[in-house]
Amino acid sequence: MLNIKRSDFEVILAHCRSGLPNEACGMLGGRNGSVEKVYPMRNAKPGPDYYEMDAEEQFRVMKDIRESGFELIGLFHSHPTGQAYPSSVDIAQAYWPGTELPNYPDAVYMIVSLMDRARPVARGFSIEEGRVQEVKLSVI
Amino acid sequence: MIKVRIPTPLQKLTNGKAEVECSAKTVAELVDVLDKDYPGMKDRLSEGGKIRRFINIYVNEEDIRFVNKEETSLKDGDAISIVPAIAGGNWNSTSSQLAASSASEYDYI
Ligand SMILES: [Zn+2]
Repeated sequence: MLNIKRSDFEVILAHCRSGLPNEACGMLGGRNGSVEKVYPMRNAKPGPDYYEMDAEEQFRVMKDIRESGFELIGLFHSHPTGQAYPSSVDIAQAYWPGTELPNYPDAVYMIVSLMDRARPVARGFSIEEGRVQEVKLSVI
Repeated sequence: MIKVRIPTPLQKLTNGKAEVECSAKTVAELVDVLDKDYPGMKDRLSEGGKIRRFINIYVNEEDIRFVNKEETSLKDGDAISIVPAIAGGNWNSTSSQLAASSASEYDYI
């Protein structure tokens, strides 16, 4: 389970909406299963069905997470027209190229579907060796 | 000596070590030196002499793509980070079937 404060959840939703019609992305710092800091980030290759974090921003954010005493507890991105479920590309990108080794085995992949603009749906997943499993999100 | 931060998926090759030390004059040489110490590293990091597309390598916080790529020079005391890129893509019928067969939906709004 991943705990997210209501205010942080609103920041994630707002960032996903502001990226429309393209996908939006970001990172979540935290510990012990709770999100403590949301990092809305730039989509360096924006498309309605693609995102890629900016490599330098990714480095800065990961450093900030470490220096804040947190861990990279989650990664979020939006699906402007798709369901809140990892696409085959999301899953492929979660592994080290050419292997089945998960890049971020401890991070929850949170996906926000904006298919119904008035009613976003968010779900969380862990992507570990060869399997995708749902992780319950708890907005508190 | 140069310090190299090893990401989780490659720590099997370094016997669980998150940081290793070595000496090299360029990033290309670093890949060869790492492969000598930890066999398999070269194949993980590069393909046809080039660093793999979704692997980011930073020399003291600078992405080598914006310096001199594989030929980026290194000096004693440099800190190297190897970090997998974070990207994703579109939604298609394959994942649609997976979603349909998975647990019930959770709504948060
Ligand atoms: Zn996606």
